[in-house]
Amino acid sequence: MKSIRRRLTRELLGVSLVLLGGGWIAFFLSARAELIEQFDITLRARALTLTALTVREGGRLRIEAADRLAREYGSARPRDFFEIWQDPGTPALRSDSLGGADLVPPGGLPDRHAAWDVDLPRGRPGRAISVNFKPRPIGNDRGQAAGGEVMLVVAGDRDGLDEALDELLGIAAIGGILLLAAILIGVPRVLRRGLRPLDRMAEQVSGIRADSLAARLSVADLPTELLPIADRLNDLLARLESSFDRERRFSADLAHELRTPIAEIRSLAECALKWPEARDPSTDRDVLASALHMESMVAQLLALARGEQRQMSAQRIEFRLDALVLATWEPFLSRAAERGLTPHFEMPPAPVAADPLLVRSILRNLFDNAVDYSPAGGEIRASIDFPGGATRLRISNPVETLDAGDVAQLFDRFWRKEAARSGQQHLGLGLPLARTFAEAMGWSLAAALEPHPLRLVFTLANSR
Amino acid sequence: MRVLVVEDSSRLQRALGTALRKSGYAVDTAGDGTEGLWLAESHDYDVIVLDLMLPRRDGLSVLAELRRKGKSTHVLLLTARDTVADRVEGLQAGADDYLVKPFSLDELLARVQALCRRAYGTKQPRLAIADMEIDPLARRVQRAGRPIELTAREYLLLEYLARREGQVVSRTEIEEHIYDGQIDRMSNVVDSAICGLRKKLGSAPLIHTRRGLGYVLEADPYSARP
Repeated sequence: MKSIRRRLTRELLGVSLVLLGGGWIAFFLSARAELIEQFDITLRARALTLTALTVREGGRLRIEAADRLAREYGSARPRDFFEIWQDPGTPALRSDSLGGADLVPPGGLPDRHAAWDVDLPRGRPGRAISVNFKPRPIGNDRGQAAGGEVMLVVAGDRDGLDEALDELLGIAAIGGILLLAAILIGVPRVLRRGLRPLDRMAEQVSGIRADSLAARLSVADLPTELLPIADRLNDLLARLESSFDRERRFSADLAHELRTPIAEIRSLAECALKWPEARDPSTDRDVLASALHMESMVAQLLALARGEQRQMSAQRIEFRLDALVLATWEPFLSRAAERGLTPHFEMPPAPVAADPLLVRSILRNLFDNAVDYSPAGGEIRASIDFPGGATRLRISNPVETLDAGDVAQLFDRFWRKEAARSGQQHLGLGLPLARTFAEAMGWSLAAALEPHPLRLVFTLANSR
Repeated sequence: MRVLVVEDSSRLQRALGTALRKSGYAVDTAGDGTEGLWLAESHDYDVIVLDLMLPRRDGLSVLAELRRKGKSTHVLLLTARDTVADRVEGLQAGADDYLVKPFSLDELLARVQALCRRAYGTKQPRLAIADMEIDPLARRVQRAGRPIELTAREYLLLEYLARREGQVVSRTEIEEHIYDGQIDRMSNVVDSAICGLRKKLGSAPLIHTRRGLGYVLEADPYSARP
């Protein structure tokens, strides 16, 4: 399994180690070069002194005030050395500290200024530099043409330098090890702290189950990078919760809707078997009514399922919507009159191309609800208009107890305002079925509440 | 025994009414919560079979109102809601039993009968008074080992009196519990039924008249004295 933390740790440690190693090597080499440079500068300073003190007299080279240099270059304490070469291969002068040895690099004397490591007498390691100069003529040589250049090689024991380099290496190694340890400990810790909000979110998400969809991810103290994820997940959870609630409600409603007729049939049958003399035609009529009720429910559920799975084929036939509305309303006239309901229809000619059977089913459903649920004496209105070239049919009826929350659930399967779900004429499947029919034709069916006085308005519309 | 059935499904209401009447209960029915509550408050039922999802007033609210008013009538909740939470909610609201639709009619009758027994403070399935024995499950009566044939109404009357053994039971109570409250209060239906029952039970009378008060079923108090 891929782990962001593990990957980040590995990559950060890798990058840190490469940077640390590179930095360490660069630091060490530059510090080493600086120390050697300082050593060479010291040698050059000595060389400068020697060039100032070296004179030519009588064709020979000599060091003035040689006794002052005896302490530095003497044989008593051989740490500093010099040798002057007049011609290649011919040393003209050398310090006593050399004890007769030469200060020659392995490849022979260089042409110009150079610096190199050299083996000093008694096998001690040393460092040497060379400078070319013209010795100052004195005595009889003064006024004569200046002689040729000579090469001065100055060397020093590099014990001190090597000790400093060893010390530098030690310090750099200890520093490097400490830095490495700090990186190895620090990087995972920093990552752990940095990824803690992600861990918390993962923990919260893993705790969410189908029965705990009401839980929401806490967005307090969440870094801005994770906020959009948490917000989206919370939105998703809200939708899932709503969907699960709807499914649970649907299952419970379906169970209730089926259990009651099953209980009716079972009780009637058991009664008839137990007391055959009590069985009369009304018993059979009751059994038949319960069976028909279930049959109707199953038929509507199947139609709904087909519609939702896009298995419903809608025809496209041209007809007059206004005529169909009036024809569909006609069977409801007597029921409406019994309840004192007044129809008020405004029906301009409205030719449409759709499936007249599906439209009739939708209309029958809307009128059925309007007639049954309008308060007695109310007015049922239907009108057609053509906004933006589309055809829009509005059917409305007065209502007493619906609110916006109810309207949002009107198209839920089995939803009914009355919790008792009494009466078996309405199953709570008509409106979802009507919407499914509308969508199968590419139409839309929506519901809204109109205030003062409160009216429920259904709008059936096709696209332009 | 008198039972109130509050159920909004008219077909189920009719089936339950028939089954309970055939089993010898006096049955009243109501189709919504408001009517059910009114009936439950107005009459002294032995058992109320109450649907939960009722129009006008739901079953739990009816039950809560009954308990609030001190009515301790045994209530059997009848509903399509079958989750544990639903059952717990119903029982916590004061119901004595809970039955989920669809149900076996025999189970419903057995539960109603059990609640009736509880209503009279006994858990004994058989009732024995002197040499008479009543088996409510089989609805059989025998005296001194001799079976006695009774009509459903006679049996119900005898069982009612037997469950209240030693207590004076008024005519009104008998009318309330045995006759659906449908009979004319001035008629002598109860007296006739008692008379018929006495004849069938034979000598050594068990049902005694307390003039102006009602009837009491018990072994002959005089013969019981030493």
